Amino acid sequence: MTTSGSGASVEADAPVVLVTGASSGIGRATAIRFGRAGYRVAVNYARDTSAADEVAALVEGRAYRADVADRYAVATMVSAVEAELGPIAVAVCNAGFYEERRLEDVDDSLWDRSLRVMLGGCFHVSRTVVPRMRSRGGGSIVTIASELALIGGVEIAHYVAAKAAILGLTRSLARELAPTIRVNAVAPGAVDTPLLPDRDRGPGYTDTLPLRRIGRADEVADVVFDLAHSAWTTGAVWQIDGGAAIQ
Amino acid sequence: MSERPVALVTGAAGGLGRAIVAALSEAGWTVAAATHRGSDLAGDLAEPMAPASLVGRVLDRHRRLDLLVPNHAAMTMAAVDEHDPDDWWRIVDTNLSGSFRLARAAVPALRAKAGSIVFISSEWGLIGWPRASAYAASKAGLIGLTKALARELAPTVRVNAVAPGVIDTAQLAVDAADLGVSEAEIRARYAAEAPLGRIADATEIAASVVFLASPGGAYYTGQVLSPNGGTTLVP
Repeated sequence: MTTSGSGASVEADAPVVLVTGASSGIGRATAIRFGRAGYRVAVNYARDTSAADEVAALVEGRAYRADVADRYAVATMVSAVEAELGPIAVAVCNAGFYEERRLEDVDDSLWDRSLRVMLGGCFHVSRTVVPRMRSRGGGSIVTIASELALIGGVEIAHYVAAKAAILGLTRSLARELAPTIRVNAVAPGAVDTPLLPDRDRGPGYTDTLPLRRIGRADEVADVVFDLAHSAWTTGAVWQIDGGAAIQ
Repeated sequence: MSERPVALVTGAAGGLGRAIVAALSEAGWTVAAATHRGSDLAGDLAEPMAPASLVGRVLDRHRRLDLLVPNHAAMTMAAVDEHDPDDWWRIVDTNLSGSFRLARAAVPALRAKAGSIVFISSEWGLIGWPRASAYAASKAGLIGLTKALARELAPTVRVNAVAPGVIDTAQLAVDAADLGVSEAEIRARYAAEAPLGRIADATEIAASVVFLASPGGAYYTGQVLSPNGGTTLVP
């Protein structure tokens, strides 16, 4: 289930980060950000092996194929990561997908898949890494929510519900796992990734944003990295959205 | 067709559900009171087909639907890494998916009457709670669903939520058992956390539901009312 990068210049005792959904977009940028800081990076992905291998090579990490909706696959992956790279210091629960559909057309398959991948990805990773982090006396979990979890959206109820549920999970785990493990969320707005609808790239949308442009994945990755290391922060939701959800 | 507006309330056998049914009836609504079991509107709303079946039975009987109050909920408490994952998902599927499927099934009828939805969230859905990650996630998800559907169904159907603090119901036995204390002790602990110095009576929560559904609430949509004695002061 793994493919290897060279690993040549990453220190053997470097901390390990697991990033889910890391073959593209915010996950990819996050993997690169941690790699640049000297982390050993576990690049989780669901389908696109060549894209994940490319990210793994860039960061001298390893790619791990696992559907985060499948708790058994997550458990197997986490065991493999810790055996091959070392103890996971930071887990970034990022895997997700975005597909607009009006309420009456959100069938049970799309609804369940949304909850299982996005909320379930966070739950399955957390329940697996938490006992390991606790036994080592520390750790940091960052979940990727969305601006839409804070302000809603049209024809995207399944996504909004899953992302909002991630906030409830994040805040609960922050309370439950303190002071040993910190758990925080990032709520990105419209970011230039493959998930972003073309509609949101044009001036019809960007002119409504206080900062007048969509974001870059590396800008979000910087926030994820800083939040993961912000030692006096837990249960927080850091917004990075060009001002879309000022509240 | 019923002359009076018709409300569907789920979880109607519980402490809060009974109070919502009573308050809506008092306010002039015809209430279809659905329960988990033991009534003619019984069903397990974690089952994917159950919500549409329930809405269908209500429409067969009353020929209209003006208000949906998905109030049913499941809760167990456990540490995230000790919580049986099947049970964790049962809570999410009951509370969040069941409420979603009710809304999806009810929307055509609600559109026809320019009706509204009042989801029942929780203080814990706003601020999280230790050993309650499934419940808090499900209730936070309902707040997201409230905001998304408020935008999508506007201007015809209004969608709001009530996020109560701790209510004096039989549910407190779950919390007490989880912490290994008496129900009297858990009441006292929760009361001490609220600036108002007490937990809520279910009628005080039901009043918020009635308000949001009433003409006085007609300019509310996508909002979360939080009758909680002041425990959470969040955006």
